[in-house]
Amino acid sequence: MLRKEQNDLLTLTGPATPMGQLFRCYWLPVLLAEELPEPECPPVRVKILSERLLAWRDTEGHYALTDEFCAHRGVSLWFGRNEERGLRCPYHGWKYDHTGQCIEVPSEPAASGFCEKIKLASYPLVERGGVLWAYLGPSELQPPLPEWEFATVPSDRRFVSKRLQESNWLQALEGAIDSSHVSFLHRGELDRDPLFKGSKGNQYNLDDARPVFEVVESPGGLYIGARRNAEDGNYYWRVTQWVMPCFTMIPPRADHPVHGHFFIPIDDGQCWTWSFDYKVTRPFASQELESMRAGRGIHVQCAPGTFRPLANKDNDYLMDRTAQRRGETFSGVDGFGMQDTSVQESMGPIVDRTKENLVSTDNGIIMARHRLLRSVKAVVEKDATPPGVDPVHQRCRSASVVLPPNQPFKDAAKSALIVQDNREHVTV
Amino acid sequence: MLTESARMSSAVEAKFRIDTPNSKRHKVKVIALDTQSEPVVDDLAQRHWNGATFFTAADIASDPARLREAIGASDLVVMVATAGGHPHDAELIGETCSHMRVTTTGLIMCDEETSDEILSETLGRLRPWMLMLVVSSSRDYIEDMLLALRA
Repeated sequence: MLRKEQNDLLTLTGPATPMGQLFRCYWLPVLLAEELPEPECPPVRVKILSERLLAWRDTEGHYALTDEFCAHRGVSLWFGRNEERGLRCPYHGWKYDHTGQCIEVPSEPAASGFCEKIKLASYPLVERGGVLWAYLGPSELQPPLPEWEFATVPSDRRFVSKRLQESNWLQALEGAIDSSHVSFLHRGELDRDPLFKGSKGNQYNLDDARPVFEVVESPGGLYIGARRNAEDGNYYWRVTQWVMPCFTMIPPRADHPVHGHFFIPIDDGQCWTWSFDYKVTRPFASQELESMRAGRGIHVQCAPGTFRPLANKDNDYLMDRTAQRRGETFSGVDGFGMQDTSVQESMGPIVDRTKENLVSTDNGIIMARHRLLRSVKAVVEKDATPPGVDPVHQRCRSASVVLPPNQPFKDAAKSALIVQDNREHVTV
Repeated sequence: MLTESARMSSAVEAKFRIDTPNSKRHKVKVIALDTQSEPVVDDLAQRHWNGATFFTAADIASDPARLREAIGASDLVVMVATAGGHPHDAELIGETCSHMRVTTTGLIMCDEETSDEILSETLGRLRPWMLMLVVSSSRDYIEDMLLALRA
């Protein structure tokens, strides 16, 4: 459980909140690059960390992430005309460049210099790995560009999707670092999903529904090792990475693409669940790519033209009690992604953690909260740089491995937990 | 018309959640396994807890009846060790927990100076007896964990 003030501290991320200040230390994924495909393309509304922004590209292709609203009368610039090196408000013609600087106020004499006094808030926006990343913190503290491995491989070895999740970001994150739910919630998927099935590790998962955990601090966050019995007294380890504040990488299965998530607050009651898959040494097979596009694995199918899942709370997540009875799904909801989202949204926009009853196996969650709370304090009180900002912390990997009983995963799988150039993940 | 899932997951509906306690007191035993962890556990014992009680292994491991009595009335036994310490009684306490079907958590305290070898050795001593092992460089973590578990 958490006290109410701790729950508020961790879940509220708007401007001037402590957790908001922490999030503003990082480059955060905000759009797929395909959402702004070319110069002068239509602008896209972005809400992130409770700030209403507008993403757009000018004539020269510069990315812009500016205040959504015109400084004159507060009109949404989503209605703006993207024209020669700037975005023009349709109401009275005020025009802004990609930095948010007003460059034209038609009603005022050009010589008056009035427009130079007008500037919209704007944030850096960069493309990396098919994703547009924004930094919403103070410019003097802007960190190096992100170096997550999935964003560095060639585009034919990578697939990234995002979906709307109608819950606070922390509910989504805590689901991703809680490995013990896999043997229940996702039980039906392990041997059915084309991006998971066929791994020897699946059988260990299904044979041993009571894994034993080891939670160890890592430079950027946590290693969460889940240990299950394997043959000859050995242990099958699945090591999940959590890097602060909101990145997780799921341990691999056989030669399937490796996947993970970011959970980015939109506001306090919604977040973007970003999902990525990648391989280091080979392009995806066409079947793999088709499966990801069809919403299998950790991805979901969204309503056409949107990022809202087709199965959502407005249709009871397409609950299928018959499939549940037949044993095809454990919860009645189809697919890993919606199974997670449905249970996490059911907790309400921000779950009341004063009422929960955590158990020993929840230590990954407890430790993550502990590290977040400490880091928030250090950022707010000492202007410290939190874990996960350093690109070295981002060059990490998850792993699945069979080890003798006396070997700690942290040591035995040491090299497996960091990026190895031109080599795949260590996997079972 | 909204589905039940949509309506019931709203912030408005959250107000109607039943507010009566949903659990009884959790009985947690916290045991310092080595001399370095004893002051940490002693310090925790001075604070107010719901149902947690605190021991040193030196106190209870030598008295089998007392050990069984302490563990038998527990929902969870937390064993605290220090990397490089000598958790001699981990096996005895762990085995007793195992026989009595009591869940165990091991918490190993370390610091930046702790070598991988020393940490591995302590992990190896505790691993056979723990359903959850946590390694933390933060002394505050034990208190946070016990509070999170409603100890």
